[in-house]
This record gives sequence, structure tokens and C-alpha cells, in this order.
Amino acid sequence: MIGFLINPIAGLGGTVGLKGTDGNTYKKALELGGTPLAAQRARVALSDCYTLNEEYLTCSGTMGEDVLRDLKLKYKIIHKNKKKTTAKDTKKACIAFLKMGVDLILFSGGDGTAKDIVSVVKKRVPILGIPSGVKMHSSIFAINPNTVKDLLCNFHNMELSEGEILDVDEKSYQADHFNVQLFGYAITLKAPYRVQGRKNTFYEVPEDRSKEEIAKFVLEFMEDKTTYILSAGTTIKKICDLIGVEKTLLGVDVLKNGKVIAKDTNEKQLLKIVEQSSEVVIIVSPIGSQGFIFGRGNQQISSKVIKKVGISNIIILSTPHKLSQTPHLFVDTGDLEIDKKLSGKKRIITSYRMTTLRIIKSP
Amino acid sequence: MADNKILLDENEIPKRWYNISKDLPVPLSPVIHPGTKEPIGPQDLAPLFPMELIKQEVSQKRWIKIPEEVRDIYTIWRPSPLYRASRLEKVLKTPAKIYYKYEGVSPPGSHKPNTAVAQAYYNMKEGVERISTETGAGQWGSAISFATNLFDLACSIYMVKVSYQQKPYRRNLMNVWGAEVNPSPSTKTQAGKKILEENPETTGSLGIAISEAVEDAATHDDTKYSLGSVLNHVLLHQTIIGLESKKQLAKVDEYPDIVVSSCGGGSNFAGISFPFIYDKLKGDRKDLKATAVEPLACPTLTKGIYAYDFGDTAMLTPLIKMYTIGHDFVPPGIHAGGLRYHGDSPLISLLYDEGVINAKAYYQTEVFEAASVFGKAEGIIPAPETAHAIKNVIDEALKCKKTGEEKTILFNLSGHGHFDMGAYDAYYNNKLEDYEYPADLVKKALAKIPQL
Repeated sequence: MIGFLINPIAGLGGTVGLKGTDGNTYKKALELGGTPLAAQRARVALSDCYTLNEEYLTCSGTMGEDVLRDLKLKYKIIHKNKKKTTAKDTKKACIAFLKMGVDLILFSGGDGTAKDIVSVVKKRVPILGIPSGVKMHSSIFAINPNTVKDLLCNFHNMELSEGEILDVDEKSYQADHFNVQLFGYAITLKAPYRVQGRKNTFYEVPEDRSKEEIAKFVLEFMEDKTTYILSAGTTIKKICDLIGVEKTLLGVDVLKNGKVIAKDTNEKQLLKIVEQSSEVVIIVSPIGSQGFIFGRGNQQISSKVIKKVGISNIIILSTPHKLSQTPHLFVDTGDLEIDKKLSGKKRIITSYRMTTLRIIKSP
Repeated sequence: MADNKILLDENEIPKRWYNISKDLPVPLSPVIHPGTKEPIGPQDLAPLFPMELIKQEVSQKRWIKIPEEVRDIYTIWRPSPLYRASRLEKVLKTPAKIYYKYEGVSPPGSHKPNTAVAQAYYNMKEGVERISTETGAGQWGSAISFATNLFDLACSIYMVKVSYQQKPYRRNLMNVWGAEVNPSPSTKTQAGKKILEENPETTGSLGIAISEAVEDAATHDDTKYSLGSVLNHVLLHQTIIGLESKKQLAKVDEYPDIVVSSCGGGSNFAGISFPFIYDKLKGDRKDLKATAVEPLACPTLTKGIYAYDFGDTAMLTPLIKMYTIGHDFVPPGIHAGGLRYHGDSPLISLLYDEGVINAKAYYQTEVFEAASVFGKAEGIIPAPETAHAIKNVIDEALKCKKTGEEKTILFNLSGHGHFDMGAYDAYYNNKLEDYEYPADLVKKALAKIPQL
């Protein structure tokens, strides 16, 4: 028996460049044209699961019932919520899941939803996230929705492990300060290629020098005629630091001719810039330890943007230390076709005039 | 019983080295003085090398006599055996006939003492008291300290820092043979101090170590510099490998269709191949294929440019026309595969540019995979540098399996890997990364530099 719930507003801020969907950010995201991803990602995750013969306990309407009904899965409603849902509904549903003795809690959302669930469930039942939030630093999410079915097929026999529930203070995050905090621990499924690790940040003197070496090389081959979409993170920020230009740490900026021409962009802005530019290159860096190159922390560089720019115009950077601590690399743009094209053996710039070959896992 | 080992008697050790300079399709470009921009003369090299080696460097004589004292020392391990790799052939199920010249039988475990002994001898004859040199993983350092010990010369070695730390046992070998070993960059030279100021955490490079060794020799009257590869006289001494191989193959009525060797600075590739390339240049063996194999992390021939460049990082050496990926190249610290010099021998660079030889580059994990296949089949554990050649040999043998051709493949098993088990350990624990020099991006970077 699986307890299933959806956070209906999860992921709303991603493509519009907001750093989360808590509080007032939700209204702002709607105004900017953001679309929630949770239901859509849940549908992908459960689309072929009718053969599994599991029963789902869920919440009414947009918190789970709609998706399960559409997919013709066996379900029972254990919590009726109003049209406008809140974290309270998530917690009440979890109390009901525990009472009914579910074997697994499957949810569609981000770190915020995970935090709400674990505040009630603690380590009593394993939990698994369908990744659909803006912030997904915790190590209890599946790599992408497509891997959920494999996990659900085997979860009764799978080894379990402890996962960290992390969250970022959203106000700080909005102000471009990355301050991740450990909220607690949960139990999740042990599956390194299927369940993501936690994000790690590396602080070491050699790490700083490595970033400088990489940035030095990138600046060497950057061309004036090319527009560069710079993803989030300190490794990429170093490029701008070396030329004395400000870059948002956690946002996606656009650089051309040594100047930032767009700051903290959203998908729409990026698509417009790509449309207007003759040559565009995307520069990204994997999330430390988690290994996501696309789909975490840079959802504004969406599959649409990647398609327009071209798979061959993507440059990946990583310090050697980060790479050594990041056993697997993944992509999760939400577009399976693009994810497949992005996967395979790729060059990653790891030093001055040197690359390391790594495999990006195929979904 | 299979006759897999082909030996020669000590009196069959060649009496002369082969000098390919005499037979080149076009003349070598002159070496240029970085200050005057004019071709250097013997007087420019005199502070660094004894006169006999300078003469060999520019000689146009096809055959150069090997001194008896040097041949005498060669008998400690030469003639080295030539093996038929019949077990490897069986594993690969190939119709190809694979032979390898095993240079790992020398006391330092590689082909390097073939020139180290000669160089130490000529230095001793001219009253030199100390040799300074550089070494990467330690193969050259071990060889030169073995040789200087035989002639009672002092020896100062600048060892690339990351290797100094990762390969302590080669360093200890040098200590046994009386050498002083310094991790490079060191504070003993101005070149080393400058690099340390710029980057205290640098892992070092051969280019930097060469700068230090050259400075040491140039600033001490009793000291000369010795180099393990690249220069003409070094490649000359190594031709003993190919000359012996020719005699050994003739004993079983064989001649190679393909000659393969790994190529860093070029000495071991030159050693095995030049005596055979001589036949090709003469017109006797036009179809001979000679392949120099290098790492994709340092693809000098396959991705470099053929241009004048410094032989070292601090730009103390003259400008040499060679294939290069830039004298400021620093290979990744944990590149286990060796062959990390930024340039290549001018002789090999010319032959490659003229299409007389081929080149191929591989990632290090596939190289170690080939090394494992070879080690399991034949029993000998190859040095990682040598394993580059083995990868190409296996590829060629598998091609023959497809086509059914019974080609004869000869390669130089230039050294054993007993001091490189740390690298094998990293390989077996999946800790080896595949590095690749991004030639396309570097080309973009270089295109922005104004041409004067």
C-alpha cells in the first residue's frame, strides 16, 4: 500500500527564475507565467504503473485523486482537502498514511514538501520524492520521474538507507545567498542510480584555485560574437569574477562581449535572447555530489532553451574535487528525448586546457 | 615446445648506432637561440652537454660507433629478449603474429639506460663531475642515476612533484644509486621559485622540471645536463633496440608489417622503429606502418601544432621545431599513464609531418584495460607508458582477426610496471579518470593571440 500525495504548486517558480514557491513567491510566479510541475511529473512517474497492482491512499482533487483517477490506478481517499491546499493538508494526509500502515509514501514536490512530510513521518516509513520542486537538495528524490516505476516495482525488496532532508532559507536564496540547512533525516530507498544524493558544497583552497584555472581557460576561448548563458554556481561565477563583472550566484545570467546583458533570467527571457542571437553557448556545472547538470537549480534553462541552443553548444565545467565526490552525473529537463541526447560520454572542463570524460546517465 | 623467446649472444650486441638524420626526406629545421633568433652553434650547447654528444646531435654520419666501455656495460642486460606473444595471439584469436622487444630486463626496468649509460660515459670522459636532469614518473631518473653510479658521477634529479609523491619507490631506486632527488618545482632554482610563487599548489610538469635541471647545469661549472628523450643523440642511442630486433626477427625469418611504440618525447619509439624506417626510406619496405602511440591527455602529435616552441616551461632552452601543445602545458595530477611531455622529438615530428609515420591517441582507462589483457596473457606487467603501445597492438591484431590477414606486428615493451602498481590499483578501483586535451577549444584560444 502506497501513500501518495502531490503538492499542487510545487515547481511553479522554476522556469520563471524564482528560487522556490514558498509564501509570496507563489503569487509572483503565477504573475510571471509559471506553471506548476508536480501533477505533470506525477503522471509521467505513474503512467505505466497499473500493472503493479498496488493500492494508493491519497488526498482528494489536485493533491492526488485527479492523477490516480486519470491513470486508472486503484486508490482510496483518506484526506479530503479544500481547493486551496496548504502544508497542513500534507501533514494531515501523512498522519492518515501512518494510521493506515502504508509501506511507502510517494510524493510529488520539492524540499519544502519533503520537510512537511518528514515533520510528521520522521523515520517510521520510507519516503520517495518525484522530483518536481524548484529546490531539490534532499537525498530522497528519484533521479527523474521515469525511474519511479522501476523503484516501485522493487521497493518491497529493496534495501533502505537514510536520506537527508535539506532546505534552503528562501529569503536568503532570493537574495542570492546559498544557505542550506539540514532539517532532519528520513528513510528512503537505497538505489544510487535511481535516487539522488544530497547537494554538497566544497570549500577548499585548492578548490578555489581549480575554479580559477577553469575560468581562465574559459575566458581564453570565449568569443565576442557568441552569447553565453551562464548557469548557477560558484565555478561559473568565477568566470565573471575574473573579468570584474557581477554574476548572480544562484541564478542564470547571460554574458556577451564581457558584459552581463541579462541577470537572473527566466525561461521566457532566455528564449528571447536565443532567438535574437546568432551563436549561443550554455555553460553549466553539475550540482556537487548530486550530479545534476540540468534540472536542478537551473530549470530556467529548460528543454526548450536547450533545443534552440543545440546539444553541441553546451560546455560543462567542474573542479576535479567536485567531480571526484560526484559519482554519477544526471540530467532531468523533463523532456525525455532531450535527456537522452544529453546523456552519454561528455567532456567536462576540469582544469586549464584539460577536460575529463564522464558519462551522463541516460534516463 | 613453442619457441617464444628469441635471443642473441652478447657478441651480437650491435657495434654501431643508427643515425636517421642522414636519411630524412627533408632536412631538420635548425634549433634557434631564443635570444638572437639565430640557429644555435656548438658553443651555445657547450655549457649543457659534453662535446661528443653535441657532435652526435648534429652528425650526418649514418652509423656511429658504440664505445666498447658502453657495450661492456650493456652486457649487464643486453641483448634484451624478443618474445613472440603467442598467448596473447590465442586470447585475441588473431591470425596476426605479435612480437615484442622486452626492455624491462634492464636494472632500472626500462629502455632508458641505453642512452643514460652512453651519456654518463661521454660526460665522464670529458671530466664532468655532476649531471643534472629531470624526471617525470621516474623512469629516466632511475636510469640516469644507475648510469652515473657506474661512472662515479654525482647526480641531481628534479622529479615532477606529483610523481615524487605518488611514486616513492622509483625515487628510492634513485637514492640507492646515489642520486639526490628534488621534488619539482623546488626552491633550489630561480625557475622553481618563480613557479611556486605563482602557484604554490602546482603538481609540477616535465617542462618545469626541465627548466630547473637546465638552470642547475648552466649555473654550475662542474655540471652538465642530461635528457632522457627528445634530442637527436638520445634517439640515436636507443636505436640499439631496433637493430637487435632486426637480427632477432631475421633468425625466425620475419620482418614486421607494423611497428608500434608509445611516444612521449620519442626515444623508445625511435629506438624500435628507426632501424626499420631506414628500410622504408630507402624504398625497400614502402608499406611498413610505424605508429607512435600517445595519451589523449597529452596528444602532442595527433592534436598539437608543428611549430617552434621551447623545450621547457621557463623558456630557458632553445626553440625547437616540433609538434607541441604548448610549453606551458601541465598535465592533470592523477594522470597515471605517463607520456606527459608537451613536445616531441624533432626527428619524430618531421617524420610524422612528412607522413612517414602514423600516430594514435587513447584514453587512459582503455590503455590500462589493454595492459591487463596483456599482463594476464603474457605474464609481464607493462608500465603504463608502454601500455599505450599495447592498446594499439591489440587494435591492429583485432583488425587482422576481421580481415584474416597474418600481419607481423612488432612493438617495444619499453618497461615493466612493477613501480606503477599504484596506477593499476587506481584502475582496478575505478578511480582513473579519462582526460582529454581539448585541442578545439585551445585552438580557439590561440586564434585570439596576435601573430607577430
